[in-house]
Amino acid sequence: MSDIDIVVEICGSAGEGTISAGEILSRFMSEEGYDIMSFDSYPAEIRGFGKCVAHSRISRTRVLTPGKYSDVLIALNDSHSISQLPVLKEQGVLIYDNKPPKYHDEDKSIAGWLEPGMIPYGIPLNELAIKAAGNARGRNMVALGAFAALFGISQDAFIQSVKRRYGKKKQVVIDNNVDSFVEGFNWTRDNVRKIDFHLFDSSPSDVKRDQLIINGNEAVARGALAAGLHLYAGYPITPATKIMEILSKELPKKGGVFLQTEDEISSIGHVMGAGFAGKRAMTGTSGPGFCLMSEFTGLSVMAEVPAVIVNSQRGGPSTGLPTKHEQSDLNIALFGGSGDSPRVVIAPTSVDQCYQAAVLALYIAEKYQTLVILLIDFFLSNSIKNLDPPPPPDPRYLNANIAPGKDELKDYKRYQITENGISPRTIPGTPGGMFFSTGLEHDERGKPVYDTKTHTLMTEKRFRKHREILKEIPEPRITGWEGQGDIGVVSWGSSAGAAEEAVILACEKGLKVGSFSSMVLSPFPANALVRFCDRFKTILVPEMNYSGQFANMIAPIVTRPVMRLNMVTGLPMASEDILKKIKEIK
Amino acid sequence: MITPGSQYLDEQINTVKENGFLRYRTGELPTWCPGCGYFGITDAILKACLELNLKNEEICAISGIGCAGRYPVFMNVYGFHTLHGRSIPVASGVKLAREDLTVFAVAGDGDALGIGGGHLPHIARKNIDITLFLFDNSIYGLTKGQSSATTLFGQATSSHPGGNPDTPLNPIKLALAYGASFVARGFAGDPEGLKHLAKEAITHKGFSFLHITTPCVTFDKFNFTWKNLKENHSYIDQSIHNVTDMESAMRIAEHERFKLGVFYKDSNRLSYHENLRNIASKKA
Repeated sequence: MSDIDIVVEICGSAGEGTISAGEILSRFMSEEGYDIMSFDSYPAEIRGFGKCVAHSRISRTRVLTPGKYSDVLIALNDSHSISQLPVLKEQGVLIYDNKPPKYHDEDKSIAGWLEPGMIPYGIPLNELAIKAAGNARGRNMVALGAFAALFGISQDAFIQSVKRRYGKKKQVVIDNNVDSFVEGFNWTRDNVRKIDFHLFDSSPSDVKRDQLIINGNEAVARGALAAGLHLYAGYPITPATKIMEILSKELPKKGGVFLQTEDEISSIGHVMGAGFAGKRAMTGTSGPGFCLMSEFTGLSVMAEVPAVIVNSQRGGPSTGLPTKHEQSDLNIALFGGSGDSPRVVIAPTSVDQCYQAAVLALYIAEKYQTLVILLIDFFLSNSIKNLDPPPPPDPRYLNANIAPGKDELKDYKRYQITENGISPRTIPGTPGGMFFSTGLEHDERGKPVYDTKTHTLMTEKRFRKHREILKEIPEPRITGWEGQGDIGVVSWGSSAGAAEEAVILACEKGLKVGSFSSMVLSPFPANALVRFCDRFKTILVPEMNYSGQFANMIAPIVTRPVMRLNMVTGLPMASEDILKKIKEIK
Repeated sequence: MITPGSQYLDEQINTVKENGFLRYRTGELPTWCPGCGYFGITDAILKACLELNLKNEEICAISGIGCAGRYPVFMNVYGFHTLHGRSIPVASGVKLAREDLTVFAVAGDGDALGIGGGHLPHIARKNIDITLFLFDNSIYGLTKGQSSATTLFGQATSSHPGGNPDTPLNPIKLALAYGASFVARGFAGDPEGLKHLAKEAITHKGFSFLHITTPCVTFDKFNFTWKNLKENHSYIDQSIHNVTDMESAMRIAEHERFKLGVFYKDSNRLSYHENLRNIASKKA
């Protein structure tokens, strides 16, 4: 087995099959046993000819980030692809159309823009596509054929994969795609001399891995479904809309209800109603919609009604950058809303964790009768990962409501003050269990009262739940140098993958560096963090926001100097940037 | 803190409770002002529940903020006092999650027509099977007498001492225009008539809009008073008006602003749940 680890970018205009070519390649590589991570980008505006980039990292070892630089650029469109050259590595490979349908001036042809050291392979993509299928639509498949021939990928195995993907389509569609691929493959094999060093060891094997190839939004939706989601209310907003679209299809099949509401206030209102009625419910949004939900977040905490909100962060403030990545909603997730309102914030660090996080969120919300914010981001929502189908959740995560016993119902106190903060809760329909919930401060029976003692006891009770939750959240993930070292990298959300990768690279260079990340940010495992930080001289917090929201949160907890790496590039965090910062500090 | 007076009243309530008449009431004493129209409304709704033989535990009363928002506190049902203007989405969420429950959304004029006015068209067009009781006293009572969306033009209020510069909304016209499948108006001063309307609203399959006029005895001494409302209110002559006739309903709503009774009713329209089921079965 080769230890290949390469980044392939396919760049073209919208409608040229750019994204689908990327998907075909990722699917094939996943089936062949490679680990993949893809992050496509396309314009925010819905109009033709916009620039599309299908970006995939393919590796024999576990992929933690999509990679900042590319090894191979497949240019389906010269003018768009020229702007991708800056991320092509010094000895990167370019596959381009050397006989494009329209004649290019020299400065418009990508070949004229290559740096010395880059390796161009000119393939007559357009001509070969027409030859194979009678029209140029199959250029993307010709390009994949050329890629396969150059990098030692088995033609047969690839064709089988394409046939599986297009299985339900018309035979002529399958044939055209396969013929175009074969045309590109054979021409390249016969006419091009390979001068780069990348090689896959693709040998057709009978055992094909059948993995899920999904993005974070789909992982959240699947996790929620597995956890018994009954109602999803949503309002369209990038980058969370896909969660809504998936659940609109899947929830009714399971007897659940999906509805599209008039605004985000109504969405969270419906979630609270369903939660009050004893069903698991969730909504999903991004920053602007999350702001609208703020008042309800306080009600969930005060009235102790379960609610789960997914906030897929994008660039802000205000409408901000709808199709760009940022991690700048941590403050509003932790502190948004009025009063002392303890809320649970779960920020998965990878697509795999998005699934587990959704299960955990619905479980905690129901058991602890409170608000859970599932904080993901543009990158997680859109990055595609291959993973083994997750096992069904532990049954204890499925029915978590703590109902009062028969004796307790005789003199039922809905908001009974208890040691763990959880008061037994009846579900509407239970005879003799009627109660009254309110956003006003209330006594144990739910009656509005405003005296000093009640407010103090009830506030303490609501905060005590967090002490309990802390006991059952997943352990923080700690990797890298295990002894006393120099730099401890503490990260959160999707930046944790880059941090972990940077730490691996730093350790390979002999640096004593460790990595810490926790999926649950509130309640926060402060003790574990302190133990981790005590092993290092300096703490580094990389995050995709300007003000260092997470660094500000942990700085008072740790006793070491906290250095920051803050970026607002609109792109996912790259391990290269963290590594550079580590070296600077060192 | 229990005063001797409240203890006496508690005992009285317990005696009445034993007669079964007040089985929908909790022991809590309403915090409304003496003479408030909300007592009449509460009385009408709980009699309607009693006559429909609804079980307490199968009723969810969801309210917003304001004097009307306190309604569920005094009812022995599953009650949820939510946010200002948001009783409609929360009630809708309860119903969508649990079709078996009878769900009331309770809102004041501030709730349903002011801050939460944006929810009304959508619950109406979705036709989700809940009943909206709109307690309309044409004033913000709990914040001490500011103008609301139904305060008369020129009326002096604490936010507009020189006279309200805004034109009031016409709630019945709005509900008709939004496509509510049941639209009616009742009056707090006629609990018996209101009870009949409430029964019809609760049993109607789909979204029911029941506008209830009531005075605010504390903050409006001149306009929507008991005396004025009683003098002006009268029931629609049902021998002339056909409740399935939208044009006739609109005409009455526009020209006879104090008419009571059922304005419009579409019993054939499918509820949201029914539509969802039909769509699902078409797919299958």
